[in-house]
Amino acid sequence: MKIKIIIFLIILNLNVVNAETSLVDSNKIFKNLRCLVCQGQSVGDSNSEFAQTIKLVVRDQIKEGKTEKEIYEFLIEKYGDWIVYKPPLNKVNFVLWLFPYLVFVAGGTIIFLFLKKRDNH
Amino acid sequence: MLSNIGNTLLSLNILIGISIIYFSFKNLNNSKTLIGKKIYHLCLFQSTFIIICFLTLVSAFIVSDFSIITVYQNSHSLKPFLYKISGTWGNHEGSLLLWAIILTIFSFFFLFYNKYHPKNYRIYSLIIQNILILGFLFFLLFNSNPFSMVSPTPKEGLGLNPILQDPALAIHPPLLYVGFVGSSIYFSAAMASLITNYSGKLFAQSIKNWVLISWSFQTLGILAGSIWAYYELGWGGFWFWDPVENASLLPWFAMSALLHSLIVLEKRNLLYFWVIILCLLTFILSVTGTFLVRSGILNSVHTFANDPSRGLYILIFLSLMIFASVLLFFSKFKNNSYNLNSNSKETFILINNWFMIFYLITVLLGTVYPIFTEVLTDHKVSVGPPFYNAVIIPIVVIFLFFMSVGPRIKWIKNKFYNLNLLFKILIASIFINFFIIYLFQGYSLMSNFIIISALFLVFASLMDLYKSLKKQNIELPRVISHLAFGFLILFIGLNYNFSIEKDFNLKVGEKKVFENYSIEFQNLKLEDFKNYKAVIGEFNISKSDENLNQSLYPEIRIYEKPSTITYEASIRSDLLKDYYITMSNIDRSEYYNIKFQKKPFMMWIWISVIFISLGGFLRFFKNAKKYY
Repeated sequence: MKIKIIIFLIILNLNVVNAETSLVDSNKIFKNLRCLVCQGQSVGDSNSEFAQTIKLVVRDQIKEGKTEKEIYEFLIEKYGDWIVYKPPLNKVNFVLWLFPYLVFVAGGTIIFLFLKKRDNH
Repeated sequence: MLSNIGNTLLSLNILIGISIIYFSFKNLNNSKTLIGKKIYHLCLFQSTFIIICFLTLVSAFIVSDFSIITVYQNSHSLKPFLYKISGTWGNHEGSLLLWAIILTIFSFFFLFYNKYHPKNYRIYSLIIQNILILGFLFFLLFNSNPFSMVSPTPKEGLGLNPILQDPALAIHPPLLYVGFVGSSIYFSAAMASLITNYSGKLFAQSIKNWVLISWSFQTLGILAGSIWAYYELGWGGFWFWDPVENASLLPWFAMSALLHSLIVLEKRNLLYFWVIILCLLTFILSVTGTFLVRSGILNSVHTFANDPSRGLYILIFLSLMIFASVLLFFSKFKNNSYNLNSNSKETFILINNWFMIFYLITVLLGTVYPIFTEVLTDHKVSVGPPFYNAVIIPIVVIFLFFMSVGPRIKWIKNKFYNLNLLFKILIASIFINFFIIYLFQGYSLMSNFIIISALFLVFASLMDLYKSLKKQNIELPRVISHLAFGFLILFIGLNYNFSIEKDFNLKVGEKKVFENYSIEFQNLKLEDFKNYKAVIGEFNISKSDENLNQSLYPEIRIYEKPSTITYEASIRSDLLKDYYITMSNIDRSEYYNIKFQKKPFMMWIWISVIFISLGGFLRFFKNAKKYY
C-alpha cells in the first residue's frame, strides 16, 4: 500500500515537471559563462562591455533557435573551455567529473565492508 | 616609533616561544605531575605581548602613521574610523598578525582549561602549538612584516580598496580566523595525543569544545563573507563557488565531520585514528586555503611568480606540517578491531563523515583542477557553479534523508524503527511540495527532490524539537542546528526557483514593464561624500496586482583613494523577499544598464545559518558548564 502511494506520487511528480515549458533560459546561460575580462564573475553578473557583447550574441542565437548546448559549443569554439563554468566532459576533464563519484562509491564500500566484517563475527 | 614597538614585541614573542619550548622539554623530564608555574607565566606573557603588538598596529592605523608601509598602502586619513580599524586585518601582513594572535590565545586557553588531563599530553600540545606559532612569527618578521618602514614618510596613504570598506567584511576575517586558525589547537592536540598515546574518551573530551567553538565561528565567518558578497559585489548571489569562498568551506566540511565522529570517540571509544586524521586534516586544509588565496596561484598560475617568496614560505611550512603529521600518524597507527553494528548511531555518524568527505573532495578538486590542467596540459578550464550543482545537489538529497533519520537511531544497536512516522513525514513533505508547485510554479525534477528532502529534514527535526522541549534533554543544540540546516536548504531551493531576474537598459524618465512589474527610472543625481563621489539613481518599482510601491537608490561610486569605481546595489529586504537593483553606466550613451532582481526568502537563508552556528555555541556553553 505504502509503496503504491509513493509510486503514485512520483508519477504525479513527473507529470508536473513535464508540464514545464521548455524555453531556453537566457539568464541561466549568462550565469554559466565566465566574463573573460573580469575577476571571477559570470557574464550574468558583470556589467563589463565584454559581458554586454556576449549577452547580445547569446540572445541572437536563442532567437535563431539554437539550443543551450549549441550555444555553449559555439562559444567554446571561439573562446576555449575557459569561458564555460561547467567544463565539458572530455579527456582533459574526465578526472574532474569522475573522481568525486569514485570517492563516493569507495567511501560507501569501505563503510559497507567494515560493517559486514563485524556482522560476520 | 610604533614600528619599533611592534618589531620589538614580535622579536620578544619569538624569544618567549623558544623559551616555552625549552622549558616544556625540561618539564617533561622531571617527575612532578604539575606543569611549572614558569610555563604558565610565559604563556600569559606571550598572549599579552601579541595582543599589545596587534593593538600597536591598530593604533598605527587609527593615527594614520604612514611611516609604516602597511598603513601607507591600506589606509587613508579621511577613511571612516571603523574602516581604519578593520584596515588592520584587511591586508596580508595585518591578517597574518591576526593569525598569530589566535594561535597564541588558543594555546594559552588550551593549556589553562585542560587541567585535568595528563601533564605530558598538555606539554606536547603546547610544544607543537608553539612550533606553529614560531613558524608564523618568523614569516611575519622576515617576510611579511606589518611594521616595515617606508622612508621618506608619505603625506597620505593609498587607501583601502573601497569594496572592502563594509561592516560585514570588517568582521568577516576575525570570525573566519577564529574558526580555521582555531583548528590549529586540535592539530597540536592530535599530534600530542599520538606522541603520548593519550587516546580515547578523555582525549575526545579535551578537544571537543575547541572543535565546537571553531566550527561555530567558521560558520558565522562564512556567513559574513556571503552576506558581503550578496550586497557588495552586485551579483545578487550569495554563493558563487569562487575559489576563495571554497577555501573557507573546505575546513568547514572537515570540522563538521570531526564534530560528529568525535561524539563516537567520546561515547563509544571508537574511531580514534579517524578522528586524528580529521583533526590533522582540518588545520592542514586551513593552511592550504591560506596558501591558495595568498600566493595568488588561484586567479592565475602566473601571479605566483610575481610574489614567489610569500607563497613559497607557506608552501614549505605546509609541506613540513603534512610530512610530520603523516610520519607520526603512520608510526603510531594500529589496526584496531572495531565493534560496529550496521544499525546504530555510530554507523550513521560514519555515513555523515562519508558525505562530508565527498563534499570536501569535490570542492577541493574543483578548486585546484584548473591549476593542474593549466600546468600539465596548458589547457585553461573554469570550474564554477554548474559543476558543483550538478555533482553535489543529487547527493545532498540522499544526505538530508540520512540526516533526518540518523539522530533518532540508538547507540550500539538500534532495535526499533518508527517507519510509520517517517512514512507520514515523507508523505507530508511531498504534499507540501505539490502545494508549492500548484500555487506558484513548477520547477525541475532535481529541485523537487531537494525541496522534498529539505522538508523531510525540517519536519523530522521539528518533531525532535518538540520532544526535546518537552523532556528538557540536552539534545536541543543538535536539534537546532539540524533544523536550521533543513531550513537553509529549503530556503536556498525556494530562492533558486522563485527568483526573478531582469536585465535591461533605461535612461532617466523611462519605464520598463514586464510580467506584473513596472520599473521607472525617476531621477539621477550626483553627490559628494567624504571619501567618494556618487551617481545615485532613483527607481520606483510597482506591481499591478499588488499594492507595491518601492523606491530604490542604486549608486555608482567613484573613489579617489585608491581610484576605483564601485557599483552599489540598492536592496529592500523584508521577511519574504528582497528587491535588488544595480545600475551601471554604458559608455558613450545616456542609457544605464539596470539589473533588477527579486529574491525570495534571502533573510531566512541568513537566519538559518545563524541558527546552525547557534546550535554549536549552545552545545559549547553546556559543555563548558559541565566540565570546567
